Amino acid sequence: MIDRPMEPAPVDTDDELLLRAQSGDEEGFLTLYRRRQAGLFRFALHMSSSTAVAEDVTQEVFLALLREDCGYNPQRGTLSGYLYGIARKLVLRHLERGRAYVPLDTDSDDYAQPELAVLDDPMVDLTRREGIDALRRAVYALPRRYREVVVLCDLEEVDYADAAVALGCPIGTVRSRLHRARGLLLEKLNQERNPRQALGTLKPARCES
Amino acid sequence: MNCQEFWNTIPELGNVAGSRHLAECPDCAARMSRHRELEAGFRAVAAGFRRVEAPPGVEARLLSTFRRQAGSEYRAPSHRWIPAITWATAFAAMFALAALLVRERQPEAARPAVPHSIELAILQPQADSDGFIPLPDAAGVAADEDDVNLVRVELPRSAMIALGLDVGADRAEEMVEADVMLGSNGMARAVRFLD
Repeated sequence: MIDRPMEPAPVDTDDELLLRAQSGDEEGFLTLYRRRQAGLFRFALHMSSSTAVAEDVTQEVFLALLREDCGYNPQRGTLSGYLYGIARKLVLRHLERGRAYVPLDTDSDDYAQPELAVLDDPMVDLTRREGIDALRRAVYALPRRYREVVVLCDLEEVDYADAAVALGCPIGTVRSRLHRARGLLLEKLNQERNPRQALGTLKPARCES
Repeated sequence: MNCQEFWNTIPELGNVAGSRHLAECPDCAARMSRHRELEAGFRAVAAGFRRVEAPPGVEARLLSTFRRQAGSEYRAPSHRWIPAITWATAFAAMFALAALLVRERQPEAARPAVPHSIELAILQPQADSDGFIPLPDAAGVAADEDDVNLVRVELPRSAMIALGLDVGADRAEEMVEADVMLGSNGMARAVRFLD
């Protein structure tokens, strides 16, 4: 009798799991959900600073996936990128609704109003280190177009191709936004570390007296 | 490679292909150091969130929705096939009925040939003593009925053929005189050919 080494069971791809789910296979749906929910939840959480919004978004993403006309096309990109794309749109919708109350996003290239984005931050207790907190605050303060690319590529480690699918832009745009976002973050962190140096860049007000 | 080219070719962190430029340019080296610090910060933030995931309630709600949908769409194959089975049964019944009707309309087997003499006897018109031949589907010659009328007409010889008389086909279009017996209701009862 020959002992053969046990081959690992083949892992279903996301597309295969989606097909199984769409044909009524509960196990397929659960496997796909458990594989992708955490990243989507964290993306929504980083973007919105709200666990309630992140919870809603995660649920809505998979509800959309259960619809027959969910619109996913494997030719256009991976299912992961597609799911992040849905999550992004849902987050933006939530942010638009809450804009009157908490102006999280100015959607401009200006690096202004960083404090407003973190007033009700529910994630402060997740880490105690000052530097990490400062980085998180800086990420939240980024304009939306830069924040989403940093969250996707730097925090969730989504590859550029999937990020491009999620953001609906070319990979080159992902690269350039990421480059610009990192520059803004470094600038902001440098200002926090050296407030006097940062103040020195401001033009002195003229004293008339 | 100048500074601009360096940052244009390696915008992502971790790629140190331009290490020669970094060794020669303190500014870029310092900037790269800050980028690496930033990258380490990203990793630290991501590590802090690594265990963060959607609450179990989300999975429970989604599973409930999935089962509800699956119950109505996927999980009841017998119900799902009911329309197809119904249509298939209907078509099968229709084809069976059509086959039955077609079979009934097929020509019957040929009957045994009747001997020619018998056939002539059957076809030979039975004329009465006055030479009147009763017409088919008519009341026939009413000998005891006085209320009849005789009308002389000209008929094509083909009419004689129709009554079973032996007439050559070449003379079918010729005209022949005949007396037609009409009943009291005006209907023709019998005919007598004069030629």
